[in-house]
Amino acid sequence: LNHIVHNGGLYKRPFNEAFEETPMLVAVLTYVGYGVLTLFGYLRDFMRQWKIEKCQNATEREEQKDFVPLYQDFENFYNRNLYMRIRDSWNRPICSVPGAKVDMMERVSHDYNWTFTYTGRVIKDIINMGSYNYLGFAQKAGACQEAAARVLSQYGAGVCSTRQEMGNFDKHEELEKLVARFLGVESAMAYGMGFATNSMNIPALVGKGCLILSDELNHASLVLGARLSGATIRIFKHNNMQSLEKLLKDAIVHGQPRTRRPWKKILILVEGIYSMEGSIVRLPEVIALKKKYKSYLYLDEAHSIGALGPNGRGVVDYFGLSPEDVDVMMGTFTKSFGAAGGYIGGKKELIDYLRTHSHSAVYATSMSPPVVEQIITSMKCIMGEDGTTVGKARVQQLAENTRYFRRRLKEMGFIIYGNEDSPVVPLMLYMPAKIGAFGREMLKRNIGVVVVGFPATPIIESRARFCLSAAHTKEMLDTALKEINEVGDLLQLKYSRHRLVPLLDRPFDETTYEETED
Amino acid sequence: MNVGVAHSEVNPNTRVMSSRGMWLTYALGVSMLHVVLLSIPFFSVPVAWTLTNVIHNLGMYVFLHAVKGTPFETPDQGKARLLTHWEQLDYGVQFTSSRKFFTISPIILYFLASFYTKYDPTHFILNTTSLLTVLIPKLPQLHGVRIFGINKY
Repeated sequence: LNHIVHNGGLYKRPFNEAFEETPMLVAVLTYVGYGVLTLFGYLRDFMRQWKIEKCQNATEREEQKDFVPLYQDFENFYNRNLYMRIRDSWNRPICSVPGAKVDMMERVSHDYNWTFTYTGRVIKDIINMGSYNYLGFAQKAGACQEAAARVLSQYGAGVCSTRQEMGNFDKHEELEKLVARFLGVESAMAYGMGFATNSMNIPALVGKGCLILSDELNHASLVLGARLSGATIRIFKHNNMQSLEKLLKDAIVHGQPRTRRPWKKILILVEGIYSMEGSIVRLPEVIALKKKYKSYLYLDEAHSIGALGPNGRGVVDYFGLSPEDVDVMMGTFTKSFGAAGGYIGGKKELIDYLRTHSHSAVYATSMSPPVVEQIITSMKCIMGEDGTTVGKARVQQLAENTRYFRRRLKEMGFIIYGNEDSPVVPLMLYMPAKIGAFGREMLKRNIGVVVVGFPATPIIESRARFCLSAAHTKEMLDTALKEINEVGDLLQLKYSRHRLVPLLDRPFDETTYEETED
Repeated sequence: MNVGVAHSEVNPNTRVMSSRGMWLTYALGVSMLHVVLLSIPFFSVPVAWTLTNVIHNLGMYVFLHAVKGTPFETPDQGKARLLTHWEQLDYGVQFTSSRKFFTISPIILYFLASFYTKYDPTHFILNTTSLLTVLIPKLPQLHGVRIFGINKY
């Protein structure tokens, strides 16, 4: 079902998010598939134990068999019986810059994926639908690369110190001022690793006696940071504002669990775009709730910075809201800027506090100068300050690519999750065998995709995840769509029961409108 | 493919039995087993029903009450390693709908088996003992209990 929400004027544009439910037949067949795989897993384990089949896993020596077991056998069950069979779809070695097209080392396995050998051949020009290269800044030639090479020859590659000691370069200060200007906040701080930004800064912000309200599908870095802080964590249903409001009301009315004292702080943790679902957070409603119940908001824009919004400034720009409403704006430079690292932006007092109290700031090595220069150049390009309209063109190209790709896939009949404007497109596969088959078939047709299954997703929601890029031209997308169509017919992946009738060719007038076939 | 990378569900095993279509698959599986047993020519109808009941309860005992832990590594640092699947369901909350469903289904199977075996004494003893092996571990009082230390580690 498509939910088009015009929520009391909070949203300035329609918010189209759809998560079509698994068809019942497909769910039953998926369970049967996992059941058969489990039974065969037990059979193979039995054969391995009775030495009928060679055991390729790590085992203890014969003398140690009488001791307490060293390896946890059952926890490895899924790994050796399911994951090993389709393992060639992951950890593929690439040997060129991961732009719109990528080269990959070909590898074969003669013992069913237990070991791999390189054939020596390089598969060239694979259309890259898996890299988080939203604005296409993963390039080996161009303004960013030249600037980074210049800084590399000037500053070198390493920093050899933390920010607090000798590692605070003028480049870092320049970057932080630029990030603050880009986001529209007072001050910002940049760290060397995006994961470490979340996991080391949340403990600096909240502690025991505080409450964290975190979305169901938050990334491991946010979950780790929340757990390390020692605060109480309550989880609300994904993007569900009624669930969040209920938790806020309960928290304020009942206070802390036993003592009933008021909470010291309530922090809401959400992400801009959730990369597994392709959904965008309902930011206007979250901000309205935050103001009503006087709590704080921590927004992780790892995937949405640069990828959403008419100016590429992220999910705040996309909804047309003010950046001052978000207390802590976090993001990463890995995805849209083609670099590495993370940042936190907010009020000056907050960032000054984090400079002294965050573990990332105090103990972690600062960012490498060429990486910093890459971010500075790409950010100036997006903002238009380098004197060209290349950045604006890229942002618009990404939005067009997103709309076109999603529409074409829906017309073909696949089940696609997520918001219409999100450049992350999960395509549902459901059955375990189709995960491996899809990855391999797409590689045969020279398209690289990322597939993911249980237990990283719920058991009946395995998917392939496409990440669109501004570097993809329409021809590349058409080729990819043609191949996806073929593979979809071959593997019977077109499960959708809501088929969109393709838009008519004649121009729009009052008598034409979109129809949905049910 | 790791647990807990893109969601905060610490142990996916807890949600498997309540996901969409699981109960239907389970019911279809039991009916398939019964149809297969009925088609073997030298089993009479009472024998087929008792065998369905016994094999179903044996399978349920092994997969829900004997096998411990999770088949994948979870980020909860092994809290569920010594728990059977039944004890892991819904993180130990009792009387949820999946627990009620999986308690009632062997009882229904028992009623059907008793009817179709025409309450014959031998079949009765077999069916009842088999039902008890699968009902007693489901009692909330026996959550985490290991009698005589069997299956403790």
